[in-house]
Amino acid sequence: MLRRTWALTQKEFIQLLRFPLVLIGLTVGPALELLLFATAIRTDIQHIPMVVADQSLSAASQSYLTAFTDSGSFDIVASVPDQAGVVHAIDSGQASIGIVIPADFARQVVQKDAQVLLLVDGTNSYVTQTAYSAAQAISQTYAIHLAHQQLSPLDARIQVLFNPGLQEIWFLVPGFGAFLLYGIALKLTAFSVVREREAGTIEALLVTPIRPLELMLAKMIPNLCVAVVNMIFTFTLGIVLFGVPFRGSLLLFSVLSGLFAAGSLGLGLAISSISQSQVQANQLASLMNISVMFLSGFLFPIAALPPLLRMLGYIMPMTFFLPIVNGIITKGVGLNELWSPILSLAALTIVIFLFGAWAFRKKLD
Amino acid sequence: MQLNFQRLTALIRKETIQILRDRRFILLFLGLTFVQLFVYSYSASRTVYHLPMAVVDQSRDPSSRALIQALVNSQYFDATVYMDSEAQARQAIDLGQVKADLIIPPHFAADIDKGSANFLMILDGSDQFAVASGYNAASLVAQNFGLQLTAESLARSGGLPAESSGASLPIVASAQVLYNPDLNDRWFVLPGIIGMILQTLAIEQAAIFLVRDREWGTLEQILATPIRQLELILSKMIPLLGLCLLALGMSVGLGVFWFGVPFQGSLWLYFWLSVLFIASCLALGLLISTRAMTQFEAETSALIFMLFGLLLTGLFYPRIGMPLIPQLIGDLVPLTYFLRISRGIYLKGIGLNFLWNDALVLVLYILVVVFIVSKRFRMRLD
Repeated sequence: MLRRTWALTQKEFIQLLRFPLVLIGLTVGPALELLLFATAIRTDIQHIPMVVADQSLSAASQSYLTAFTDSGSFDIVASVPDQAGVVHAIDSGQASIGIVIPADFARQVVQKDAQVLLLVDGTNSYVTQTAYSAAQAISQTYAIHLAHQQLSPLDARIQVLFNPGLQEIWFLVPGFGAFLLYGIALKLTAFSVVREREAGTIEALLVTPIRPLELMLAKMIPNLCVAVVNMIFTFTLGIVLFGVPFRGSLLLFSVLSGLFAAGSLGLGLAISSISQSQVQANQLASLMNISVMFLSGFLFPIAALPPLLRMLGYIMPMTFFLPIVNGIITKGVGLNELWSPILSLAALTIVIFLFGAWAFRKKLD
Repeated sequence: MQLNFQRLTALIRKETIQILRDRRFILLFLGLTFVQLFVYSYSASRTVYHLPMAVVDQSRDPSSRALIQALVNSQYFDATVYMDSEAQARQAIDLGQVKADLIIPPHFAADIDKGSANFLMILDGSDQFAVASGYNAASLVAQNFGLQLTAESLARSGGLPAESSGASLPIVASAQVLYNPDLNDRWFVLPGIIGMILQTLAIEQAAIFLVRDREWGTLEQILATPIRQLELILSKMIPLLGLCLLALGMSVGLGVFWFGVPFQGSLWLYFWLSVLFIASCLALGLLISTRAMTQFEAETSALIFMLFGLLLTGLFYPRIGMPLIPQLIGDLVPLTYFLRISRGIYLKGIGLNFLWNDALVLVLYILVVVFIVSKRFRMRLD
């Protein structure tokens, strides 16, 4: 039986390697993606374009505006005469925030009742929120400074554990690696059975003495290899190139990744067995991939999901694997702290795998 | 290349009938739009409220209680457990019981009077969302709390009335958020999500157009007829364009009536610029289909554009501050331009006078891609 499985696995490997373009796409592609996104995604926004309507044109207003540009958060890109001009600049997309300083600003400052108006473009989430809070903070700090007060009697120190430099890439790598492992294992397996069906070769396989279990294993092993190579590649890149620390136990991590990969393969097998055509298999697989991005806590927090969608997230292995990867890689914790997601992942994997095997079996009959 | 309109209309009719006959395809197409719109709109919020927080209050005076209250009132934190030592609280983060620790040192109130008080907030850095929301919220609360204390001491020393915290400052900045006064995440997300769904559908469907005929062997039949390239392409793309517009209409309808995001601009302009956008996506899909030999390759290439759309166009992550190369890649994705159009018309209600350059880029985009396609596209079997 082992020999037969091995021979079949070899056949699958040859089939997989026949399309070098796909293989290159599967290995180099993700690495490039990681590089690209690691440099592209910034949540600390600087140099927000700002438009100014300074009707005062006094030393006081100049000094007030300097506080904004000195902070590095804002760049003054245009000066306009009035509030309408500010709205126009925001409408045209030239600036994301505008500030209107009244004509008698200098006198008002002396009388301690100066009013300025900040207008923020509300159509761009991150920029809006950052611009809104940064501008208010700068203005308040400047005002307190004018009143000759010490800045604040209260000093808040905020410490971020495990990622003191707040490096985005540290957040990104563990989840991204897990997502790649899942996506590739799922996608490759999703095509495996349905491809043979469309090509008509499944009948040829059925007349041989090969057993369903052997066929199933032979279909999965090459895909598992590609997925694992990919994941190792991603993590090595993250650790070597971007300095992401790996704090936990490598052994525990490998075992649990294997468990997670098995779940993904089972899901792929189920999709492949349910689907009538390659197109359908692909659509189902893409749907699963995209829902995982949105519902498992990878791109967006689970806590912000409405209950129904949260329930959907709980039937995805990724939802439980993410806290495990983050826990092991970033926090360096082990079984003691992670037993609950591990148990859930194990249970879910068994259910999915049994379902996949059942659907596969049914398809062959 | 000459166009025979009679032949073209006949072909379009044939394709339309083919699409209409395949009920499952239409249902899947519209159903996918529907499901995606709901899932993305409801899930695409990165703000987390009610982070569980462990409190170590070593001071236990009115000021420390006021600070805890201010953090809880911000809705971002829940004071879940009270603990005795910092070590205990740190362990609670390790165990995943809480996402944040608040450590208030002894003599907090006395230190405030001396003007040298401090507190420590520890955040779970393995949870990026907890960090993002918690960090901003904690600094904002601390800032306001500090400001209030400053105003009080200012009032005491300067003899000014302390009725409100802001009134005693020499400059007051009132901020106003245009087009989205409540800073509702869903308003940001919806017009962009519509663009992303349309782009994915259009590229994907156009990408498998040639490949499918090749895999099914129907390409040979078409080759045997006098049909020209351009006629073949147009006859496939026009029904797809119609289907995409149907999906667009459904999405905007849901956006306005279900999600309650008001449509500010001109529907007519939105319609025509969407036609441009969908056409550019279809052209892109065609380009993919001239390269790809199998459906798998075609679909994978389409998926890459979706990923780029998600991350590089400004849909969720800002393009301000993005380095040059990712920005240039983002420039190649039609969604980048449609995002400004969609948000501009839908949320801001602006017109063509502000959007003409984005519309122009889309027109150029279509022309360039169609030119490349016509160079590469050969009605051949190999």
